[in-house]
Amino acid sequence: MVNKGKPLVSVIGSFPASFDVHSCMDSYFKGGSGCWSKVVSSAVNQMVNSGVESVSDGQVRDIFTNVFIRGLGGCRVRERCEVVGPVLWNNPITLEDVRLTRELTKGSCEVLGLVAGPFTLLRSVVDLFYHDEKELCFDFARSLNKELKALAPFVDMVGIDEPFFSNEFPEYAKELLGVVVEGISHPVRLHVCGDVKEIVPDLLDLDVDVLSHEFCVRPQLFDVFSECSSSKSMCVGALRSDSMVVESIESICSHLRHAVEVFDDRIVQVSPDCGLRMLSLDVACEKLKNLYSAREAVFCG
Amino acid sequence: MFSFSKKQEVVSLCDVSFGGQPGRFPTVCFGGVFFRGKPKVDVVSDDVSAMYELSKKLGVPVVLDVFIRKSEYIVPVLDFVEEYVPESTPFSVDITDASVKLEVLKELDSRNLLDRTIYNSLHVGVTEKEELALKNHTPAVCLVVAFNPRDNSPDGRFEVLSSGAGLARDGLLSIVGEVGFDRVLVDTAALSPGNCSGAALSSLAVVKEEFGLPAGCAIHNVVEKSLWLDEFSDVRGVVDAASNAGVCLFGGDFCLFGSAASARNVLPVVAWQDILVSEYVQNYFGIEPEKCHPRMVLSNG
Repeated sequence: MVNKGKPLVSVIGSFPASFDVHSCMDSYFKGGSGCWSKVVSSAVNQMVNSGVESVSDGQVRDIFTNVFIRGLGGCRVRERCEVVGPVLWNNPITLEDVRLTRELTKGSCEVLGLVAGPFTLLRSVVDLFYHDEKELCFDFARSLNKELKALAPFVDMVGIDEPFFSNEFPEYAKELLGVVVEGISHPVRLHVCGDVKEIVPDLLDLDVDVLSHEFCVRPQLFDVFSECSSSKSMCVGALRSDSMVVESIESICSHLRHAVEVFDDRIVQVSPDCGLRMLSLDVACEKLKNLYSAREAVFCG
Repeated sequence: MFSFSKKQEVVSLCDVSFGGQPGRFPTVCFGGVFFRGKPKVDVVSDDVSAMYELSKKLGVPVVLDVFIRKSEYIVPVLDFVEEYVPESTPFSVDITDASVKLEVLKELDSRNLLDRTIYNSLHVGVTEKEELALKNHTPAVCLVVAFNPRDNSPDGRFEVLSSGAGLARDGLLSIVGEVGFDRVLVDTAALSPGNCSGAALSSLAVVKEEFGLPAGCAIHNVVEKSLWLDEFSDVRGVVDAASNAGVCLFGGDFCLFGSAASARNVLPVVAWQDILVSEYVQNYFGIEPEKCHPRMVLSNG
């Protein structure tokens, strides 16, 4: 996957939610059940208006892992996340929000279909049923594959978010991700935030099309990647998602030029380092607008 | 038909008791008035009187649930309560508007009605002002609506009650205790068809087993929202009344059955189902019905 044009401005997934619990309760008492469509619409519109060209549903309903844990059979979120039975995909979990995203963007943007990775789900739950990590992890993978197949008609790219790979890279990672993307014809992006310098060769060996990492907070990763020969496409993290400081266009340009020196035309997306959920809406939008401007300056100027 | 391993609390208010093991106390039926428009006392008074008469005849306890939608309705509605609700009988105030809630609490206090009042309701939209008003003017019983916008499963109900699901500052049961309630009923939040509507019933058993609290719901709301029934409008009332039997079968303690005018359809259904449950649980679990139970009141079988 080589980028013949400019890389798309993308997001990793989450976006600040403008959820109003009072209007949601009003809707409940009026017999409605759809208080989330407004929140998703707001997030998608804000992202698009800020220049995002490869957009997610904003993952506004909850912490991204909880969204899937709540939606899968055999799992539950009470005071903690637990697995209490066989993990099963019974119904689409994020389809409603992804379809809405597709409708809202009307083909003007690429739409991302995102799932939390199976290993990250494994590390996010207390297992009261399997007592076998690998078996549980692969059941998560099989369920997420069904979710991605449900999303496939409505998305342009699928993304797997595996932050826990940076803490612990399982020996079965390649096989595991193979299960998640089996039968998926869309390009696959793997996002691993955290310090991945020790596992870069392993990541490059995975059967995914695009790797996404937090190059902004960890610019030393450029050096590690530059030492590895690869044709893997990249999504370059270029904004801090843990800081309320809005990066200037100039500083983003400088960062992207450095990225071009390392990856050349293999950069297919530029994005924040991670999800923007923890930022204020204004700051998230300003950061994305500056990212868009920087992308224009570096790749289209 | 259930018996719970958790000790079951009994909430008594005036001449009505909620809770305990299924089959001990009769299912309490909440009949509402003044759902829409200006409160028309003359229109509903006959229905309310008929509901109380039928309640006495069948042994099905009833609670009048008065909707108060606007500030200007507070005085006429509470005047109606004082005139038509027997002095030994509780009633519930059903208010969704946050500012009206505060005014109603003050007015109930000034009329010395708080010790007969069921507060309908506290939920994840609770505000600081509401908490303060409840501390200053505490009704006898709080009805907690366990609606979790993030999760429509029984576990979602558990989560809002225990932790607030990140939507309220704490678990709703903790908040209720902090503001001064020592008697709590849990409404398991009936949702519209297509939104896991059956979870309101299955949550009854979850709430009773996990918390030991009296639980109920307005399952008839699901019937109201079942548009396919429009084709069977002649039997919509039958389905509406029958839906309440589910509450008794799932171990629930109360049902909010909609308009008090429906009492003649609903109360016999609930009495019949309560008798069925009682006969079984006495035989299998040794649960004796109280003297007020329909099985005892209608002892001719």
